[in-house]
Amino acid sequence: MRTATIVLAAYLLCAVVAATWRVLPWIVDAIPDVGALTAAYLGLTARRQVSPAIGGGLVLGYLIDLISGAPPGLFSLVLALTTLAARAIQQRILVRGAAISIAFSAFVALISGALALIVRVACRMESATFAIELSHVAQVTIATAILGPLVWRMFRRIDATFARTHRERDAALEGLAP
Amino acid sequence: MTLRRRLVDWSLTGFLILLPALVLRASLARGTPTALDQAVLRITAPLETAVSWVVEGIGGTWSRYVALVDVEAENRELRDDNERLRKELAAMTRRAYDVAALEDLAVVKKRTPADTLGARVIGAPLSPQFRVLRLKIDRGDREVAADMPVITSEGPVGRVDRAYGNYADVVLISDPSSRIDVVIRDPSQPTAPSNGARGVLVGLGRADSYACKIEWLERQGRPAGAPGAGDAKVKVGDEVVTSGLGASFPAGLVVGKISKINGDDGMFQAVEVRPTVDVSRVRAVMVLLAPPPPPDPDAKTRRRSEPAFGTRPL
Repeated sequence: MRTATIVLAAYLLCAVVAATWRVLPWIVDAIPDVGALTAAYLGLTARRQVSPAIGGGLVLGYLIDLISGAPPGLFSLVLALTTLAARAIQQRILVRGAAISIAFSAFVALISGALALIVRVACRMESATFAIELSHVAQVTIATAILGPLVWRMFRRIDATFARTHRERDAALEGLAP
Repeated sequence: MTLRRRLVDWSLTGFLILLPALVLRASLARGTPTALDQAVLRITAPLETAVSWVVEGIGGTWSRYVALVDVEAENRELRDDNERLRKELAAMTRRAYDVAALEDLAVVKKRTPADTLGARVIGAPLSPQFRVLRLKIDRGDREVAADMPVITSEGPVGRVDRAYGNYADVVLISDPSSRIDVVIRDPSQPTAPSNGARGVLVGLGRADSYACKIEWLERQGRPAGAPGAGDAKVKVGDEVVTSGLGASFPAGLVVGKISKINGDDGMFQAVEVRPTVDVSRVRAVMVLLAPPPPPDPDAKTRRRSEPAFGTRPL
């Protein structure tokens, strides 16, 4: 239920971002990667089992595929792998505080962008020149880094509403894995 | 977590990683969305439309009613541009009109077998009903003289009344003092000879129209045996052309069309004529300086003389 709510909220946020960025022509290329942020959050806060988080990332990726017009499966695969990467990181570093959140958001956006590029190249899909792809990834990374802490704060609030004890609630608001 | 549950979890994870890869491969091979894709899109489309509507509504409100910092300056700039462009358009329109008038004059000059002089209309006094009473042209007494005919590509306009300094007044064919010798032609047979009815075109001098009448328009046509012989009864719509008599206007210029038949006493017909030239639109005219030379009666019969001493051009 928690994962489904986060995925639904992330999907709504994706729709809002897509509509908002359309009316902001001066930053039209710097679209925050909400999908990658969500997948990273699901991976970071995955409980004992990994598969629900991976499933959440996969479903959100599928919805993003349909919104963006990408071939179905592209962002599903990328976000599933991003969730897995975040899960691996969860066991090594603690993402807490604004600075780490911003840095980790940028890192997640980079990982996601690189994975998307690799998958596209591996599947022989059309892509722009390397310089343009790099510029796009850089802009997306900056936008994602700025928006990341806010998105995660929202997800933590959602997590807190699903907490069964005060301890779980406090841990969720602090960004600690329960 | 037991080992078995951990194994199931990682197996499921592997499957969830493999699944999108297979879906991606299949979608790339297929190229079209599946029924599932279409169903999901059908479900999610209203939500996305609603979100877009709200966001664009807020954005539109912001840009239309709040963020109007440069609008006043931009508006002023656009007004200035608009005014400048309107002036340019008016000037260009006037120039295009002049060019068209000059092109007409060039055509007239080419087909008129007489010495001509182009002139620009610089003034036109109007009647209370906004009809042009006479024209003032930019040619003075050094270039034109009284009674010289004035024409356009559409037909005769009038004749020079008097010239002074650098200007000349043109009395119109609709003026009561204007007289032009004319003949009647059937417009359905423009190449055929006229029916022989001749008359004198005189202006009616009306303040609200350029109408003329034909005085002494003959009822009898040419004598028997001549081309176009027979009855010379005219009808509304017949063309009135200059006869070339009187040594003023060259023959064959279309003056106008018969617009009304006022009477027919068996000997002469009384008709009204509507001139073809709309004097209120005339911007340039051609003054005939001299009457055309008389036609050479031997033009088609005379043979070229043989060159002397048997020399011929190469």
